[in-house]
Amino acid sequence: MERIKVAMQVNGEPSVLEVRPYETLLETLRDRMELTGAKEGCGMGACGSCTVLLDGIPTRSCIVLTAELDGAEVVTIEGLSDGTKLHTLQQSFMEKGAVQCGFCTPGMIMTAKGLLDRSLTPTREEIVRSISSNLCRCTGYKKIVEAVEAAAVPPAGDA
Amino acid sequence: MISSKFYYRSPSDVQEAISLYQEFQGKAVYLSGGTDLIPRLKLGLQRPRAVIDLKRIRTLAEIDDKGEWVRIGALVRIFNLSQNELVAGFFPALKASLQATSCEALQMRGTIGGNLLQDTRCLFYNQSEFWRKSKGFCLKMGGESCNAVPGANVCFANYCSDNATALCTLAALIELAGPDGTRRLPLEDLYGGKAEKPFTSHEGEVLTAILIPKKKSHGGYEKLRLRGSIDYPLLALAFSVVDGTGKLAVGAVGARPYVAGVTQPFHETIEEALDAILRQLRLAANAVLDPAYRKRMIPVLARRLVKKVLGEER
Repeated sequence: MERIKVAMQVNGEPSVLEVRPYETLLETLRDRMELTGAKEGCGMGACGSCTVLLDGIPTRSCIVLTAELDGAEVVTIEGLSDGTKLHTLQQSFMEKGAVQCGFCTPGMIMTAKGLLDRSLTPTREEIVRSISSNLCRCTGYKKIVEAVEAAAVPPAGDA
Repeated sequence: MISSKFYYRSPSDVQEAISLYQEFQGKAVYLSGGTDLIPRLKLGLQRPRAVIDLKRIRTLAEIDDKGEWVRIGALVRIFNLSQNELVAGFFPALKASLQATSCEALQMRGTIGGNLLQDTRCLFYNQSEFWRKSKGFCLKMGGESCNAVPGANVCFANYCSDNATALCTLAALIELAGPDGTRRLPLEDLYGGKAEKPFTSHEGEVLTAILIPKKKSHGGYEKLRLRGSIDYPLLALAFSVVDGTGKLAVGAVGARPYVAGVTQPFHETIEEALDAILRQLRLAANAVLDPAYRKRMIPVLARRLVKKVLGEER
């Protein structure tokens, strides 16, 4: 079977791959690049735990073919922190206790990142609408929404 | 994991896409957002020889104000369309159905064309191959009879496009490009009424655009579902009033949206329209809510919807 040449950026690093046409982005990230932050939940695009940013848009990587991505930019949860310093959203999820088992967390944070990138100060309603794309089966969404809300507010003196 | 092996092609114009389809002797599928197709490939519901990705065809992703028409490219993303000013200003029923489609993240991936051409759904069909084999293949899988209504020789799968329901109240046309040229037809004529193979489009045709008469409308959309955050509709109801005349459409109740005209006074004639639609429906126990309940909810949601729309008019 043929292989498709795909040149894309993953977390800022250019990479050129040759993939089977039926390989999903999630398989490429996890099995080929060892970026196991994005999780496979349902594998059907319903739960959102495999969410990554694809050209800035929160996207379920389990239902995207890597072959589709020539020229694309992908950011995964691994691409958020700067070395040892966590991203504001990651820090906020920790501080607010928005993580229980943690399986949905990478997807939640990438969806939230997508929202904050296009809207600096989203309303609570906008946060709820965005984050309801992702399933959390441990608990309610209260602390998750609070964490996103807190991350959206610019730190004092920084405004 | 996708177990079927296929070739991948990404043509840069529609003609090339059609040629590729012919090259693979019809054993190809067109891919847009993939939110409906890729899960079906994963379940082995479809085993194409080639996937022809339309996303490099930029002209398919444009929205144009054509004066008398609004022309919506089939590859416009559902989220982008829901944010469009023409849609908000002229087609409130469509705006509401776009916003009610799935969840925000899937709206950003899924396209309006793909949403219209999504396959019909059934609890006995959208399952893994292992699950389906254990039950024996149904009509839609090429078997002898229906699994939802044992013994029946018709398919009861539901066509669950939120947006088709709304577009049917707005006299929308669709544009198809195929081996024999380009044609336009009313969206309602896309449906042949057979749930196992719901569309009348010809082999190799690409849905290129949706055209809506650019007339101010009042309208709305009501959706029955279990989870407000995601879910296909268990009932879809749309109502639009253009130039004083109304149209009611009911979706997710069989192979196609059911449409009826409504004249003034709306709160009276809506009952006749509902009767006409309800008489045609044969719902099966193939969705997560009981068919009798779904049927009873149709008039409830329709009256609620008309009230809401007329309230806005005052």
